[in-house]
Amino acid sequence: MLKKLLLLGVISGLLAGIASIIYQKVYAASLGEGFTETVTIAKILGSSVAGTLIAAVGYFLLSKVLKGNTEPVFNLIFTILSFVTILGPFAAKLPMTIEAPELFPGLTIPMHFFPALAWFTLKPLFAKSV
Amino acid sequence: MKKLIIFSVTLLLIAAVFAFTVVSPVWKITDKYNISFSSNEAGGIFKTFKGSIAFDEQNLAVSNFDVTVDVASINTGNGLQNKHAKSDEWFDAAKYPVIHYVSKKIVKAGTAYQVTGDLEIHGVKKEFTIPFTFKRTGNTATFNGTFNVNRNDFHIGKPGGDVSDIIKVEVAVPVTK
Repeated sequence: MLKKLLLLGVISGLLAGIASIIYQKVYAASLGEGFTETVTIAKILGSSVAGTLIAAVGYFLLSKVLKGNTEPVFNLIFTILSFVTILGPFAAKLPMTIEAPELFPGLTIPMHFFPALAWFTLKPLFAKSV
Repeated sequence: MKKLIIFSVTLLLIAAVFAFTVVSPVWKITDKYNISFSSNEAGGIFKTFKGSIAFDEQNLAVSNFDVTVDVASINTGNGLQNKHAKSDEWFDAAKYPVIHYVSKKIVKAGTAYQVTGDLEIHGVKKEFTIPFTFKRTGNTATFNGTFNVNRNDFHIGKPGGDVSDIIKVEVAVPVTK
């Protein structure tokens, strides 16, 4: 089960990372600022996969305690934690060379929800084995 | 004949005045300047700085500065802090759009200099002395200065609180002739 969950974590993390990179390109094209030096592709992919891997481990541990009720409780916790992490972009202190830090939360906040979205999208595909 | 003499004398006087008027070299501010501030909680830069600088190490009496900083160009690296800094709680950029400094006297202080002038921030004008150095290399030079400003003197923000009253300001202004 843990193996399948970790696989789900890696795949959904990569999917979230790809979605974030596409979103960054669209954001930069429309607003003229993509924060590409601060929000690098490596950081996007790394943090997305790390987030969903932590979620996978969390799901596994939760399932040991909650058994049949794991799914709704896990989904609620994942969503709440995704909301909590948006405090990060609001508090982020960017290099002074960046002209418009005001645009930073607009780029990064949606990215914080992509791992949960990717997880919820792909989870049914793993439903039988997890 | 009398008119010719008066005209000649006037002409001579004008020529003499111009001959003895010492004009201090005017320096042009390049776009590589850095106007930064820091304290325990807040720090940042002002992105827009302009003005006129006339400075001659050999003739400080005719040297002068008249510079402004655009308050709305403040950048703390955080969007919310920028908005907060520009609000009426702090700089009130809408009402007081510039920080203005006009020199009155420049003196040598050891190997450096000190300029005394009127500093106007947030609508409050005060006499303020800024120590600075001047390093010249051919037709380029750099003015460097570090000094403290008590924000309460200019009614910026409420006294006390999270942000310390004393704000350290660092100025580096490269110039060319």
